Amino acid sequence: MKFKTQKIAYYFFAVCMLLLSLQIVYGFIMGFAHMGYDNLHSIIPFHTARATHTNLLVMWLLAGFMGAAYYIIPEETDRELIYPQLAIVQLVALVVVGVTAIIGFHFNWWEGRKFLEIPRPLDYLVVVDVLLFIFLIGGTIWKGKRYSTTSIVLFFGLLTAALLYLPGMIPTTNQTMDSYWRWWVVHLWVEGVWELIMGAILSFLLIKLTGVDREIIEKWLYVIVGFTFLSGILGTGHHYYFIGTPRYWLMIGGFFSALEPLAFLGMAMYAIAMAKKGGRQHPNRLALTWTIGCAVMSFVGAGFLGFAHTLPQVNIYTHGTLVTAMHGHLAFWGAYAMLIFAMIAYAMPQLTGRKLFDNGWSVFAFWTSNIGMVAMTLAFAVAGVAQVYLERRMGLDFLQVQKEIEVHFLGLVLAASLFSLGIFAFIWIFIKYGLPKGKIENVSAAN
Amino acid sequence: MLTKSAAKKFFIIGTVVCSGCFVLLTVDTISRVPKQTNADKITPQVIHGKDLWDHNNCMGCHTIMGEGAYYAPELTKVYERRGEVFIKSMLKDPASMYPGQRKMQQYNFTDEEINSLVAFLKWVGEVDLNGFPAKPDMGPAAAKAATMTLSQIPTPTRPVVYDQVCVACHALQGQGGVVGPALDGVGTRRAHDYLVSWLRDPLAVKADSKMPKLPLTDEQIQELASFLSSQK
Ligand code: HEC
Ligand code: HEC
Ligand code: HEM
Ligand code: HEM
Ligand SMILES: [Fe+2]
Repeated sequence: MKFKTQKIAYYFFAVCMLLLSLQIVYGFIMGFAHMGYDNLHSIIPFHTARATHTNLLVMWLLAGFMGAAYYIIPEETDRELIYPQLAIVQLVALVVVGVTAIIGFHFNWWEGRKFLEIPRPLDYLVVVDVLLFIFLIGGTIWKGKRYSTTSIVLFFGLLTAALLYLPGMIPTTNQTMDSYWRWWVVHLWVEGVWELIMGAILSFLLIKLTGVDREIIEKWLYVIVGFTFLSGILGTGHHYYFIGTPRYWLMIGGFFSALEPLAFLGMAMYAIAMAKKGGRQHPNRLALTWTIGCAVMSFVGAGFLGFAHTLPQVNIYTHGTLVTAMHGHLAFWGAYAMLIFAMIAYAMPQLTGRKLFDNGWSVFAFWTSNIGMVAMTLAFAVAGVAQVYLERRMGLDFLQVQKEIEVHFLGLVLAASLFSLGIFAFIWIFIKYGLPKGKIENVSAAN
Repeated sequence: MLTKSAAKKFFIIGTVVCSGCFVLLTVDTISRVPKQTNADKITPQVIHGKDLWDHNNCMGCHTIMGEGAYYAPELTKVYERRGEVFIKSMLKDPASMYPGQRKMQQYNFTDEEINSLVAFLKWVGEVDLNGFPAKPDMGPAAAKAATMTLSQIPTPTRPVVYDQVCVACHALQGQGGVVGPALDGVGTRRAHDYLVSWLRDPLAVKADSKMPKLPLTDEQIQELASFLSSQK
């Protein structure tokens, strides 16, 4: 760790671990409900569990991106963060807004739009909080001694992510337009600007871990994010097939979204190629494992499984079934959860000065969580494909089909237990690392 | 060999061109959506229904237009499939319509709110969704549809409301739900007048009846009673 203010990242990562644990609890509640054990229905009905599960996910991923940015930006710009105390304020505010939203969900206070359930008054607070974050990061880059491609791409990704939150607030009375704008947030985030953030963080990690020349890594970063936007922006059309929007989206969405896996394939090939090319053997092999794992699993979850249901001919049957849940889990895990895990695995030894990466538990955490998540994906896949054939193609009643596929949710819960074991091992190591060295002083005042 | 500045140019030009196209297509979509979604039929009641839909997070269990959660039935075509009587009873007391099944949230909606939700679901069902949800194309349902169109057999003289509501709980000739008794031969067991009073309010006939009181009109009741009486 070169700069004292990088320590702020630690607190963001700690929040990630906490929210992830809670997310898993709510995942289990839903898994059991699907199995027929909805005993918690009167306290935590399914829709509450679901909104909590997905919003906690988005919240901890955002916290993770912010933590990563607070770690990366000082190092890339070669100066301390401006106003480090405000960064702590920003974290606390984010947590307060998040917790308020989650509690609200348990009392029927929400907007009822998938992934954007947070009630409107809290939306504004989120925007203010993110603006503060953008100001701190942007200000640091502005005053910095160096403009690196990695930091510019990261900043651009974070800024556009913040801006794209706004279309989700456009008022409309038409369900079709409501859904139209909702995808500007949801799709353009995960298949657009978040990939920029992902590309930038991966570049940073590869520069540090492989020792390959920055110029080469950053050149490929441009190529990959170029492909991302080339396919991903018009690829939004794969959500506009069947919501009451014009028919031409079937062609446009189908064509461009079918190209999206290329960006993920590029990301995977790039990470593997750079790791092979790198001469320097960084001692933290574990961080490199998570980095390459992220690039590979994002291709499998987002690229391959996304492609599996993105053509309109397929999507007309799979649209809104458990097939989507299958893809959602592995895509989020591979692309974004593993990215943050990679960042944590790299940053923790630097922040705390302890080296726990050779530890058997760290390796156990990587493999157990990944094998568990792949098994969960398989359970969702079997349930989803069975649902598509029985309900959508043979015309059986919804609930009758759900009875048929209940048993696959036993599989899901077992796989999820394995996955959780891996996550707890990771969190256990995180705790064992302890707090970062020293206090965060107000260094910016001295500059 | 590709240089870094060429790569940067590729990124910037690609992004600007694609974003531009996307914005143009959005403008075009916005101009076409009102016709495709029958925006003139979005009455204040439909808007109220959508508000209730949103503020109660129905999408947290159901899908609509294929979006939402995968725990409860897709509701885009529910108005056509189940009809008003069923939906209204469902929203009054979900447990009575599907006893012992996966639970739906119990809301305490007023009649006005229920009417608004029904209006919203009716509007959604009429939007042109480019063919979604697709008709089942395999197995018995598809085979039945095919023979129907081939030989032009008229639909059996079952009242529409029977196929929307009663079929969820009762079987006839082996088809339908199992919550209530099969109705084959009910015409020999029960008199026409008994059936009428039963359908008006099962609980008045049999205090511990498991069949809910359904909001049927007199006309529907007469039609159903005649139909059931003919089941000998
Ligand atoms: C906690 C989950 C949950 C929530 C929230 C929920 N539902 Fe349901 N709903 C169900 C389930 C499960 C069924 C299937 C029948 C059953 O098992 O009760 C259902 C069935 C229905 C049906 C009948 C569908 C059919 O095909 O027979 C309608 C209509 C309906 N719900 C409307 C709504 C509306 C409107 C809302 C919001 C105000 C809503 N539901 C909220 C779980 C939910
Ligand atoms: C929610 C499930 C449900 C629905 C919907 C339902 N029923 Fe019933 N029905 C029952 C149950 C349960 C019984 C048995 C009641 C008892 O004996 O306690 C019953 C009993 C009956 C009986 C008496 C049968 C006999 O042999 O005595 C008739 C007739 C009947 N239903 C007709 C209908 C008609 C017509 C409809 C449609 C308008 C309908 N039911 C809708 C559940 C339902
Ligand atoms: C990291 C990247 C990705 C993540 C995190 C992700 C996640 C998700 C999630 C959560 C949904 C459900 C959204 C909702 O219904 O609100 C979804 C839907 C979908 N995704 Fe992805 N996805 C990613 C990349 C991709 C890619 C690259 C493709 C195509 C090649 C793709 C194709 C689809 C399709 C077609 C749907 C709609 C499914 C339906 O009709 O129900 N996704 N994705
Ligand atoms: C470990 C235990 C977990 C279990 C048992 C679990 C289970 C579930 C279930 C049952 C659903 C609801 C599907 C439905 O609507 O019926 C769901 C939704 C979702 N979960 Fe999980 N989950 C777990 C962990 C995770 C993790 C770690 C992630 C992210 C990396 C994740 C991401 C999601 C997403 C994105 C959705 C929404 C999917 C969609 O709408 O298509 N879950 N989960
Ligand atoms: Fe998408």
